[in-house]
Amino acid sequence: METEVRLDRHTMPALGKPSKIDILHATESKLPNGIPLYSVNTGTQDVVKIELIFPAGTLQQNLPLVADTTNALLEEGTTKHSSEEIASMLDYYGSFLETSSHHDYASVALYSLGKHVNKVLPILEEIVKEASFPKEEIDVYLTNKKQRYLVEEKKVRVVAARNFPALLFGNNHPYGHVVTLDEYDAINREQLLNFHRSHYASNGCAIIVAGKIKDQFLNTLSDSFGGSNWKADDLKKTGEFAINPSAEKKHYMPKDKALQSAIRMGRMLFHKNHPDAIPFQILNVILGGYFGSRLMSNIREDKGYTYGISSGVVFLQQAGYFQIASEVGSDVCDKALVEIYKEMDRLCNEPIPQDELQLVKNYLRGNVLRSMDGPFALAERFKQVWLHGLDYSYYEKYISTLAEITSKQLQDIAGKYLQKDSIYEMVVGSKKA
Amino acid sequence: MIQFERFTLPNGLKVIVHRDTSTPMACVNIIYNVGARDEDPEKTGFAHLFEHLMFGGSINIPDYDNALQQAGGENNAFTNNDVTNYYLTLPASNLEVAFWLESDRMLSLAFSDKSLEVQRSVVIEEYKQSYLNQPYGDVWLELPKLAYKVHPYTWPTIGKEIDHIKHAVMPDVKAFFQKFYCPNNAVLAVSGNVTVEQVKALCDKWFAPIPAGNPPLRKLPVEPKQTQARKLELERDVPVDAIYKAYHMGSRMDQSFYAMELLADILTDGNASRMYLELVKNKKLFSEINAFTMESFDPGLFIISGKLSEGVTLEAADEAIQEELKKVSLAQVKKEEMEKAKNKTESQLVFGEMSILNKAMNLAIFELLGGAEEVNNETERFAKISEVDLLVEASRVINENNCSTLYYRSKSKANGN
Repeated sequence: METEVRLDRHTMPALGKPSKIDILHATESKLPNGIPLYSVNTGTQDVVKIELIFPAGTLQQNLPLVADTTNALLEEGTTKHSSEEIASMLDYYGSFLETSSHHDYASVALYSLGKHVNKVLPILEEIVKEASFPKEEIDVYLTNKKQRYLVEEKKVRVVAARNFPALLFGNNHPYGHVVTLDEYDAINREQLLNFHRSHYASNGCAIIVAGKIKDQFLNTLSDSFGGSNWKADDLKKTGEFAINPSAEKKHYMPKDKALQSAIRMGRMLFHKNHPDAIPFQILNVILGGYFGSRLMSNIREDKGYTYGISSGVVFLQQAGYFQIASEVGSDVCDKALVEIYKEMDRLCNEPIPQDELQLVKNYLRGNVLRSMDGPFALAERFKQVWLHGLDYSYYEKYISTLAEITSKQLQDIAGKYLQKDSIYEMVVGSKKA
Repeated sequence: MIQFERFTLPNGLKVIVHRDTSTPMACVNIIYNVGARDEDPEKTGFAHLFEHLMFGGSINIPDYDNALQQAGGENNAFTNNDVTNYYLTLPASNLEVAFWLESDRMLSLAFSDKSLEVQRSVVIEEYKQSYLNQPYGDVWLELPKLAYKVHPYTWPTIGKEIDHIKHAVMPDVKAFFQKFYCPNNAVLAVSGNVTVEQVKALCDKWFAPIPAGNPPLRKLPVEPKQTQARKLELERDVPVDAIYKAYHMGSRMDQSFYAMELLADILTDGNASRMYLELVKNKKLFSEINAFTMESFDPGLFIISGKLSEGVTLEAADEAIQEELKKVSLAQVKKEEMEKAKNKTESQLVFGEMSILNKAMNLAIFELLGGAEEVNNETERFAKISEVDLLVEASRVINENNCSTLYYRSKSKANGN
């Protein structure tokens, strides 16, 4: 093969021209009872996801664990069917239910093949409207949940994740409260029934559907959820809670003989609609938000102190915060902490080199495309702005900020939010192996 | 149904292309036909450590991740007992970058000492994070050892012991690469917004010049039939007693696999499953119970694992599991149980085909298992299993003499406080 032109393997092939990012928008309509219905009609597979969202998270509960328990027990029995019967019917059509409870809201989602969706929709309706919370099911659920709590409590990562938000919000704030074992014992059926009646109701509900959606299906959906018979008269406006951060910045929870220690560090930020929200997210990616991040490059790829380290921004309806998470060898925990602070300092004190910034911009542009791939991902993108009272212009803003932001601007953001003395630190484990 | 085209380069690299124009992205998945089962028993954990080293720079490209991120890409990899798989997604307009990157590390690594030194530490931390510093983490070091006496599935992918990883040296790394990382020991699957012509041209340019190697013919010792019940008891600092039962079953493409997958579903998947109803809800012996197969290429394990409720003894829990299992090895499951399990499986396969990454990965894995077209026969293979087939397979597999049982005792409970 002497005639072959020598292949240049050193130089990266020219990048394609970045294509315009078109975001398929959800279309909005209203059910007769006023429930907003957002639908993302696209996809290659004959599948549908129907997600009902209720103001039924920890922000709305009056006692710890009520929101979570109510949500988890929705599928454990209705006035018409037992837990087993509900599961059997869904299994038969290959559908599955996903219930989840969050700080700001609770969700009930049904996944189904398009060909069976009309068969399983009545089950979803029944679960949402007529959950009966049988005493027996509550007992089994709580007993097993307590056991799981004890097992999880053995994981340094989980202990750190449970306790860190309390440093920022205080233990009395729904975002910061650390659940204790005896709080499970305080739950009773009455509370769940009340919470369900007043929070899983048509006023307050929103529906997002995604997949291959037929018009006829939207009519069926309206028959199921569009009626005036499941309104709550006592739905309260979500309250605002006082934030009561810890006076001490550094916290250490010893765990004997832990081979690794879990680290959580971070600070309070702002809402998703804050002018610094997008720039800070870009800065966060540089610090710890992707494989090539400064924290990964230093603490994993250069020092080998950890299997992984990352940082992220959590946006909630009433607050936002920043956190770094890792599990590091207990013998190198102190060294890892020093390096983490060093990386934050560097972002405050030195401009980000052009090539690094360009790389992150390219990477994040790719990420935008990746995160919008397929109907369920598109529905999630919609939800993540809608929950914060934003709209698709947020993503346009994100894409344009990504294109325009400079090293100088990012350094200013770092100076504003990554000063060492503003950072809370929690270590769970053993500082010496 | 995943449509695809397949061709083979003169150096033996098999290529599979699946076109999906509903996405602006492309996915490139390369699977190497080497896993922990191919390791030297004295140097275990090597396939996985090697996977980490594949990101430590190749002969012409110092930083794999950096270059891929420039191109808007994201990647990851996994190693198991059977294979090592690398995958990435990126905007389809940058597809060539993926070919440039993947072909260079198939051509040769940079074999940097620093990378080896750091990745040894990273993998040791991974070992601690996943197996040693987790409640019940060491089950997956101990249970395979009990179940396999001869076959290399006896050690876990991460390695028998941390020392094996500590002692990995550069000559081993180079020899491993020479032996296994050649085009005729790999399958490349490309999916997304691409054309077959485009992939062919890129393959000719980037992969065709890589010389073929001599991957060894796999000759693994066959695990002899287990003839006696095996038992192990461990006492650890965990809050709750747990039990694990592992039964030998068939390999991934055997009828046994499809039957046992359906059985696992019938026993513990969801609120209407047998063991959940009987052992968790009715008798309240367990707080959770799971049945699953290891999905291994060679003859694998059917595993039942459960965490015991307060006050239940391991012996009573064991007996209750056996009693439930006896029911399925003595009488056919109900027609409707079978139907539900099959429908669920079918639906999961349809949902799985929503992502170009899943599609590429499955095509590549099935190519190693006997042919990419098999990916489209999965639903039918499940559908074909009859209630009688399931009974025959269950009665063959479910037998205490074919089982390894691990009692995992809580230290605080054992000491009575």
